Amino acid sequence: MPLIEARALTKRYGAHVIALDALTLDVEPGIIGLVGANGAGKSTFLKILLGLLEPTSGSASVLGLDVTRDGPQIRQFVGYLPEHDSLPPDLSATDFVTHMGRMAGLPAAASRERTAEVLRHVGLYEERYRPIGGYSTGMKQRVKLAQALVHDPKLLLLDEPTNGLDPAGRDEMLELVKRTGAEFGITTVVASHLLGEIERVCTFLLAIDAGKLLRAAPIATFTERTGTLGVEVEEGADALAARLAEMGLAARVDGHAVLVDVSDESLYDLVRDAVVDLGLALVRLEQRRHRLEDLFRDETATDAANDAA
Amino acid sequence: MTPREPAVGTRQSATGAIYDLGYRGYDGPRLGRSAAVSTLFWWSLRAAYALKRSGRAKIVPWGLAALLLAPAGVSVAVAALAPSAPSPFSYDNFLWNTQTLLAIFVAAQAPELVSSDQRNHVLSLYFSHALERTDYALAKLGALAAAVFGLALAPMLVLFIGRILLAADVVKAFGNEIDRLPEVVGTPLIYAIPLAALSLAIAAYTPRRAYATGAIIAVFIVGAAIAGILGEEISSGPFQHASQLVNPVVPLDGTRTLLFGGFIADSPVEGTGFPLWVFGIEWLSITIVGTAVVLWRYQRVAA
Repeated sequence: MPLIEARALTKRYGAHVIALDALTLDVEPGIIGLVGANGAGKSTFLKILLGLLEPTSGSASVLGLDVTRDGPQIRQFVGYLPEHDSLPPDLSATDFVTHMGRMAGLPAAASRERTAEVLRHVGLYEERYRPIGGYSTGMKQRVKLAQALVHDPKLLLLDEPTNGLDPAGRDEMLELVKRTGAEFGITTVVASHLLGEIERVCTFLLAIDAGKLLRAAPIATFTERTGTLGVEVEEGADALAARLAEMGLAARVDGHAVLVDVSDESLYDLVRDAVVDLGLALVRLEQRRHRLEDLFRDETATDAANDAA
Repeated sequence: MTPREPAVGTRQSATGAIYDLGYRGYDGPRLGRSAAVSTLFWWSLRAAYALKRSGRAKIVPWGLAALLLAPAGVSVAVAALAPSAPSPFSYDNFLWNTQTLLAIFVAAQAPELVSSDQRNHVLSLYFSHALERTDYALAKLGALAAAVFGLALAPMLVLFIGRILLAADVVKAFGNEIDRLPEVVGTPLIYAIPLAALSLAIAAYTPRRAYATGAIIAVFIVGAAIAGILGEEISSGPFQHASQLVNPVVPLDGTRTLLFGGFIADSPVEGTGFPLWVFGIEWLSITIVGTAVVLWRYQRVAA
């Protein structure tokens, strides 16, 4: 049984705004990247799973329980890191996380014990006794992660966990998410609009756009090699493309690069010679891989419909 | 669920190598919704009294408690020193005469319980835990009512114990006073419930604490002022005394009179000449409408 099941899940705000459009998907254990532009419906989807929002139509279940009917039971086993700031400034991390553990149903002593453990896990030490109001953004994100973990959830829903962090903070948070998901075996859904982050931590990708499922597949399938050679030159890309076309190769210009479809490796020499003949400054010659960005550039609505069906 | 083996290893961090016991699973009991609700109730009750909070946060609740206990203590002391002098306070009029302190308490502490959760978006964390929106609203309401009840009960108990201990025959006095225990406990309850419902209904609507406090005080001041002005404007006719129903604290004394009897001097209840059940109905209406408004608000507030 999948951990999360959504069937024709639809959420409308008013008459015109459709946040989720008949979304149908299954989530199996792993670290799942939920990727989409801002406004694609990521947060709405997570909030419906938590029972924070009611779906307009369709159904969803988490851990086999219906989201509209069994909210409290589901939430005992789910940890949630909201996108925005959500911490009381006047409490210490220890007091707040202990309180949240009890709100998830842990007995008092167990909650205190686990709070100490998860705060150490996320890397908060002496500062955990000071009021949260004085924390940096990075420390606040760690407290938010700690409160999502304190009750040992079976499912972790993280909404933009690197929101507002500097590059070093992002690296640390992503490492923490990866560790939590991979080593401790908690299925984690990471919603993000940054494909690079998803690529680094996730094993499976769910791409949504305008409330519809665009693609659902293991990350590896998105980053396979393609039969395209990228030839990057300092200038003269147009001339190079024309020359390669004369030689009977399918070539097109993409910025400073010329993309050439190559079926066998002997063609590499032809490309190299063409660059030399034209006297161009060659910057890079590389075999192109699929990039996650291509998802949103190339996929058409018909593909999305096929995937969702 | 199968228990996970703890992953043990060392990890580098900014503070050096930390011996890391790793993440451990939890296989103990999960107490569910009722435990979450009771946790929130006690947490909020402690917040209302500012227990485990900074000294500054304690000023209002503890100061008001001192101001409430002082007249009760003085009243007992006077009775001890001059047994023949008429006591200024008894069970029937004590809370009526100190009602302003209770109003200040709810004005200050109702926002303490709910405004900060909204302003800091802590609601989205509460609502993603093992309780429903309705549970949150009722736990907060119950905690505030309990806090007002405790605050109002304390001086009543001082009067109660004072009257027993100061009597010539303590055993006989105990017998007499114990009969009035329902009034000693019931009167604070009559004051606490609608005060909590009314003030929380207002506080739930604004994340800004100062606005909420101002609005609650305004309801009590404006209510009393309108009642006073209308009382002067309409000096005769069938609506002559109806203005008193605009004052939100009058039904509190009216309901007390309805249940335990004994009109008191400073209260307008007797002067209106209304049947006492009118005040009982108004008391119920304030409680029900206030509670409904709080519940409605938390069904809709974004989280």
